[in-house]
Amino acid sequence: MVNFLIRRVLAAIALLIIVSMVTFAIFFLVPRLTGASSADLASRYVGKTAGPQAIHEVEVRLGLDRPLVIQYWNFVKGIVIGAHYNFGPSKVYCGPPCFGYSFVNQTPVWPDLLDRMPVTLSLAGGAAIIWLVFGVTTGVVSALKRGSPVDRASMGIALAGVSLPIFFTGLLSLAIFRDNLQWFPGAGTYVGLTQDPLTWASNLVLPWVTLAFLQAALYARLTRAGMLETMGEDYIRTARAKGLPERTVIVRHALRATLTPVLTIFGIDLGTLLGGAVLTEGTFSLPGLGKFAIDSINNNDLPRVLGVVMIGAFFIVLANLVVDVLYAVIDPRVRLS
Amino acid sequence: MTAPIEVTGSESEAQPEAVLAGMGGKVEGRSLGQIAWMRLRRDKVAMSGGVLVLVLILMAIFAPLLSSWFGHPPSEFHQDMIDPNLQRPLHGPWHSGVSAEFPLGVEPTSGRDIFSRIVYGARISLLIAFLATLLSVILGSTLGIIAGYFGGWVDTVIARAMDIFLAFPILLFAIALAGVVQGKVFGLSGNGLRIALLIFIIGFFNWAYIGRIIRGQTLSLREREFVDAARSMGARAPYILFRELLPNLIAPILVYSTLLIPTNILFEAALSYLGVGVNEPTPTWGGMLAQAVPIYSVDPWFMIVPGLAIFVTVLAFNLCGDGLRDALDPRTR
Amino acid sequence: MRRRTPLVAVGVALALALAACGGSGDSGGSSSGSGTFNAGLTTTVNQSTKTGGTLRIGNAGDWDNVDPADTYYGYSWDFIRLYGRALTMFKPGPGKEGLQLVPDLAQNLGEHSADFKTWTYKLKPGIKYEDGTPVRAQDVKYDVERTLDKSTFPNGPTYFNDFLDTKGYTSPYKDKTPGKLGLKAVETPDDTTIIFHLKKPFSGFDYFAMLPATIPVPQAKDTGANYKMHVVSTGPYKFESYTPGKSLNLVRNTNWDPATDPNRKQLPDRIQVQIGINADDLDNRLMAGSMDMDVAGTGVQAAAAARIQSNPNLKKNADSSPTARLNYISMSQSVPPFDNIHCRRAVQYATDKAAMQTAWGGPLSGGDVATHLLMPLIPGNQDINPYPSGPGNHGDLAKAKAELQQCGKPNGFSTVISARTERPKEIQAALAMQQGLQKVGIKTEIKKYPQGDYFKLYAGNPAYVKKNGLGLLSMSWGADWTEGFGFLSQIVDSRVIRDAGNTNLGVTDPAVDKLIDKATTTADDTARGAIWAQIDAKVMDGAWMVPFLDVKQLLYRPPNVKNAYVSQGLNGYYDYAQLGVK
Repeated sequence: MVNFLIRRVLAAIALLIIVSMVTFAIFFLVPRLTGASSADLASRYVGKTAGPQAIHEVEVRLGLDRPLVIQYWNFVKGIVIGAHYNFGPSKVYCGPPCFGYSFVNQTPVWPDLLDRMPVTLSLAGGAAIIWLVFGVTTGVVSALKRGSPVDRASMGIALAGVSLPIFFTGLLSLAIFRDNLQWFPGAGTYVGLTQDPLTWASNLVLPWVTLAFLQAALYARLTRAGMLETMGEDYIRTARAKGLPERTVIVRHALRATLTPVLTIFGIDLGTLLGGAVLTEGTFSLPGLGKFAIDSINNNDLPRVLGVVMIGAFFIVLANLVVDVLYAVIDPRVRLS
Repeated sequence: MTAPIEVTGSESEAQPEAVLAGMGGKVEGRSLGQIAWMRLRRDKVAMSGGVLVLVLILMAIFAPLLSSWFGHPPSEFHQDMIDPNLQRPLHGPWHSGVSAEFPLGVEPTSGRDIFSRIVYGARISLLIAFLATLLSVILGSTLGIIAGYFGGWVDTVIARAMDIFLAFPILLFAIALAGVVQGKVFGLSGNGLRIALLIFIIGFFNWAYIGRIIRGQTLSLREREFVDAARSMGARAPYILFRELLPNLIAPILVYSTLLIPTNILFEAALSYLGVGVNEPTPTWGGMLAQAVPIYSVDPWFMIVPGLAIFVTVLAFNLCGDGLRDALDPRTR
Repeated sequence: MRRRTPLVAVGVALALALAACGGSGDSGGSSSGSGTFNAGLTTTVNQSTKTGGTLRIGNAGDWDNVDPADTYYGYSWDFIRLYGRALTMFKPGPGKEGLQLVPDLAQNLGEHSADFKTWTYKLKPGIKYEDGTPVRAQDVKYDVERTLDKSTFPNGPTYFNDFLDTKGYTSPYKDKTPGKLGLKAVETPDDTTIIFHLKKPFSGFDYFAMLPATIPVPQAKDTGANYKMHVVSTGPYKFESYTPGKSLNLVRNTNWDPATDPNRKQLPDRIQVQIGINADDLDNRLMAGSMDMDVAGTGVQAAAAARIQSNPNLKKNADSSPTARLNYISMSQSVPPFDNIHCRRAVQYATDKAAMQTAWGGPLSGGDVATHLLMPLIPGNQDINPYPSGPGNHGDLAKAKAELQQCGKPNGFSTVISARTERPKEIQAALAMQQGLQKVGIKTEIKKYPQGDYFKLYAGNPAYVKKNGLGLLSMSWGADWTEGFGFLSQIVDSRVIRDAGNTNLGVTDPAVDKLIDKATTTADDTARGAIWAQIDAKVMDGAWMVPFLDVKQLLYRPPNVKNAYVSQGLNGYYDYAQLGVK
């Protein structure tokens, strides 16, 4: 078991390194391949009227004139052991994990990331609970009552849910519930949980429901299909033939087999969302990691982009790892492979 | 993603009595494809989805004709229909600009014909979604079959690659790449480059989904007797892969392709919405939604129309995909 | 699987119906307060001298920097006067009076040598920082030195770099002299006198003295790029807390002496700025009364603009404020056929300016159709119209076609219009222009570029422009201050053209350069204004730029805000140093 764990953790770290390299490549290498020089790259971060001297100084300050490998090495070093930055009159030490300083306004990246995480966590976490409960329940009930009006109605709604673009649903909900009916006038402004729990929740209701609706629809369909397939398996027939009450058959046997793959996917979905629910945050203007990522990309603020992509990849990899370990705990065959 | 389907399981061999009854008593063997087609035909909802898909494809192909018959050129401004101060259309219910001349109204600020733009927008959505899906399917199936069949280190490498691709935040990478690639690449520039880039990004980053499923299918298929038989007859790997395994994988490939297309339509719409889609003035549904955002409180019609267009298209493909899957494996109906 | 689609359809239809019945039934805006539409342009609205309360300000974007050495936004130069005092400032008050400069830290406007190369200011006695230490002339010099360091402070204007005789001085952080005052071009013979030595004559130096670069910074408290976390204040308010990207809170500076400062008021107890909030949300809060001011001052968004213009209760709290900003299209002489003046004139006549005006928001929220470069706000402006655009300003197609004949392209030609991706209105205007030009056979392709790189890598990079055939470049330029030099110097002087980062996108006329030199050595304001008008006419003669919009901003002042007026000197923003809430 320990062996298995070590192997998976190493694989996870390798994955993170590869993701960081690819991100670096996209922002630093691709512009060069399409013809930009490092001076061109540096000139993005100077003001309107800077001359070539200023551009060169910025190039040096940001390290853009060094070879790519050195720049990458400095980046990794910063995360692991921290780095020193020149602020003019003195040097400042930035402790690990140091994702550097914003190219655009020289503020440290890591505190900004930490600041945005609660928003994304609130959004993803709240929605996750809602969609898991509603989605799975609907799927199970639909499967058990296959062909009934309940089944048809819920699968109809689920079909609509996976066919609607989330930004459209979000805009509609804002138009109806915030502007027209005025039930949630504050939707779209984030208030911290510790500041004011009631407003925190009420401002997040619309984003939660929008995100959860889409995901619940997916999970309902998934659960229903899985449930139906499981219910058709031989061992279920055997259990019934043995004389077990239907409830036991469903809860102890069918449900377990159905839920395992669903939970796997849930883990990965949640991991992906924690890296920033880009479309939902954009539509509702929530200051989370997703919006941070978009703004940073639009500003070409490379340290911030690197930071947010690494955090996103970290959550996905972590989720994968947790799911793998859980599987190994449940199924000994996985451990030994 | 639904659980992988068994295409040669006991249930899909169909009830011979029903088949016989439908044939009027004549006994004749039926291929899997024929059985599936019969089931599909009986599924009214899936068929209507299929018809809708056909209509949409035709609409996209004949966009210029439709636009000239029923509307105006998609880039033509009609600011006489617009209130210059309030920026919204002057006439029509809900200030939409809907009239005989403009069947779906006009856009705010510019006064462009919404009907034309919707019809042309279908071209972009469908083109990019189809080609990206094709790319994903080709890449994913090929790599999936190879990984599943050969096993060993080949499998490990490809499976790890799948993990890596699934770990990327694709949306962010799409935005980053679209912003960074400029000028002329491989002889393409302007909107041609943009479209190629979008197809590449959507197709390339999505291959792992299909790859994983096909790999799983291949893993279970390769233990079957027919593969052993082929091998003992002296068949080499390429023969086994393409003549024995692939035909049995057509069904899941088909089903997952049809389910991947709506995902890709939504992906393209999201990229257009975020502003990294094709360039102005080419109309895209996501782009129109993005333009509607600042003004939807005074002109809600302009937000509803492109959103509905996306919804209806994706719904149609989902209905088709569901129907196809149910026809091939009725257990999960 | 049957019959679920009709259910879906019904549900969606219901939702859409609810969504569509939105936006009507306006209950926003109160009927209290004495305001009328555009009252802020000519009067001070809701005058009051009562102190107390918190002024709640919102910013949908973010400052480039709150540090006086590193800021270039107009609204920042307005707001910074709350916590910083420069040598001179614009006279408070609405109307044309606001265009005059008056001394702030200095006792009088600058005394200059006959050749306009030496300028002397004496500081008022008794001015202190927030901690009680006195302000010295050396501190003003220190901030000027900081602005020269374009590596640590890349954002600010470069007027001091360009005009001071720096003799190779780059940065106070590389300065080894005691007190870091090694810049010889600025002398401080004693604690209250400061003398500037320029390398080129400039008669309008008082405008340079108005820049935040002359706000004093105590060297002992300077932490370089981190100084912005707590800028030491000389104004009526000081920093209580600053979280970049999130909030800035100011409180009363008890060491600010109103006896030394007749130009500002200290009415609210606190000023609270929320940064980075959603723009539409900010507008809604302004109209609902839970926010007092939008500091960015670029006007309300489209949805709010529509509501304001259709609701008289809201409209009376709005001002359609003219600014010294011009939206125009620049033509690249390196891209044929724009090297031929007749082809350029064809574009001048064919441009559908009214359509572009609508694209930018219409007459109240966008601006007025522009026919030449200077705008009414600039002193000396002459209203000329060398290329009339026909009835309704939709373009004079007949004249355009005639010019096309003369330049040898009777059936038109093809070219590219560039625009910035993040500016939807700019793109809409480019589309409108595309449509207009098409009517005379000029076919255009629109190319979008990111705004961060627009001047550095694309439109402002002559090599790129030539290689990629960018014939028409979308441009928007606001004056650094409301005067001819502040507006035109960076866009029509051929000598500011460099390899990259240009804002002069194609005007190279030695006669214009000569006139600019004459203007910078003319002391009399009226005479100077007349020369700038001449420059305007000359550039228009060359047909290099197609001006189409004198930008106006639709500003909203909630009725509970006191002493709001639009300052012409501050380029059409409300004067933030006068506001009260009681």
